[in-house]
Amino acid sequence: MLELLQLEFMQRALIAGIFLAPLLALLGSFVTLRKMSFFADGIAHASLLGVAVSILVGVAPFGGALVIGVFFGVLIFLLERYTSIASDAVIGIIFTTGLALGIILISLQPGYQPDLISFLFGNILAITWSNVWIISVLSVGILSTITLMFKKFTLTSLSEELAWTSGIPTTYVNLLFYVLLSVAVVLGVKLLGIVLVSALLITPPVTAKLITSSFRSYVVCSVAFSLIAFIGGLIVSYYFDLPSGASIVVSASGVFMLVLIYTKMFNDA
Amino acid sequence: MYAIEINNVSFEYIQGAPVIENISFIIPKKGTTILIGPNGSGKTTLLKIMIGLLEPTSGIIHIHGKKPKEMRKSIGYVPQKLYFDKTFPITVMEFLQLADTTPKDEILDILESVGAKDLVDSRIGELSEGQLQRTLIARSLLGKPKILFLDEPVSGIDIGGEQNFYELIKSIQGDHDVTVVMVSHEVNVVSQIADKVICINKEMLCSGEPSTTLLPEVIRQLYGKNVSLYEHRCK
Repeated sequence: MLELLQLEFMQRALIAGIFLAPLLALLGSFVTLRKMSFFADGIAHASLLGVAVSILVGVAPFGGALVIGVFFGVLIFLLERYTSIASDAVIGIIFTTGLALGIILISLQPGYQPDLISFLFGNILAITWSNVWIISVLSVGILSTITLMFKKFTLTSLSEELAWTSGIPTTYVNLLFYVLLSVAVVLGVKLLGIVLVSALLITPPVTAKLITSSFRSYVVCSVAFSLIAFIGGLIVSYYFDLPSGASIVVSASGVFMLVLIYTKMFNDA
Repeated sequence: MYAIEINNVSFEYIQGAPVIENISFIIPKKGTTILIGPNGSGKTTLLKIMIGLLEPTSGIIHIHGKKPKEMRKSIGYVPQKLYFDKTFPITVMEFLQLADTTPKDEILDILESVGAKDLVDSRIGELSEGQLQRTLIARSLLGKPKILFLDEPVSGIDIGGEQNFYELIKSIQGDHDVTVVMVSHEVNVVSQIADKVICINKEMLCSGEPSTTLLPEVIRQLYGKNVSLYEHRCK
């Protein structure tokens, strides 16, 4: 176990994950309440356009993915709010457009693209110290904002009407939530990949929902399950030489299954 | 000054298809005012305009002399239905603590005043319709509102529960010295608690004291049927 901690790429992955796993679980607590799972998937896939543009112009793909992720997050917010198009249709269009443009741009670049593969499926080996810094600083910033706005985010997620009549500026609060979520999803993409990132956003909160009866315990359990899934998955991926992102997601699903079976047995007993 | 002044207010979701047209009325500070009208008459839209959730297409609204948006913290609002994920783990106390910074013991007092103190640790998704309405009323009373807006608050509650609910509204109006504005599509609610009734069906049809306002021809005009009102007194 100690040998694992002596490897530099594992140190980087652990630090990044210890910031990201609670962040995604905390945001996921609101995402499940708002039924926004598809939004996270959409932003993750559309951020491929940012990766492609960055590869073409020769800059770090992580920055490009962040900018495009936030851009699409704000665009989805505006289209949802100011048009009569259904939310899932808006996300469906943005999701596929970003992905398609990303594929077209990448096809213009000859040869194998390692950055592309690491963004699609996640790769802890691809996490650099500068990535760790970006992830840590942004995660702390987002976590602090959520802590400050916790009641406002919760009430707005539960009922926008009630939040409005309580004096909460719901449009700005929602816009802020979309931006924070877009940033967090793109940060998570670096670790888990475009295809799998939404799992860490959704599975731990849904698992926590099975065994909690108060909002406080729900949030605490979501974060705990997310950390267990991340650390467990990372250890398994190291010892069995498996892809790290997929191992973390399967680990989260394993925790979910165990809790589900426990609650079924407990309820039936 | 009146609690609410509405002047020539119109609203349309789709251009050229008004939901309400040129409605004007005043609501006094004292007592309970009920807006009645058939389904689709624009009552809920009008209520949402009064609380500032919707902007009127034309016309002016003043709540205690100010625009609705400036008065948000002075109003309590109980929606017709609270749409949320019923499996969501949040207790009544946690839900009420989201609204403002009212101390826990004051929240418990308000819950007691609406007969819901025993629900404090219950999950809101597990409450019955009546219990949820009481919780929403408790929530609307936090922050000591000047006006309490209720949108069809008894929909989904049985007849016995309805009667208890009207008694609760009466007692709240007295105990908390609050103006109550309620929307209903049922005429029978008027005789139970209204001090003033306003009838709308896209346009304003009548306004005044229930006994002198709700005449058979007005009700026929409102609902399109011959309806007579009889007051029942049950022991």
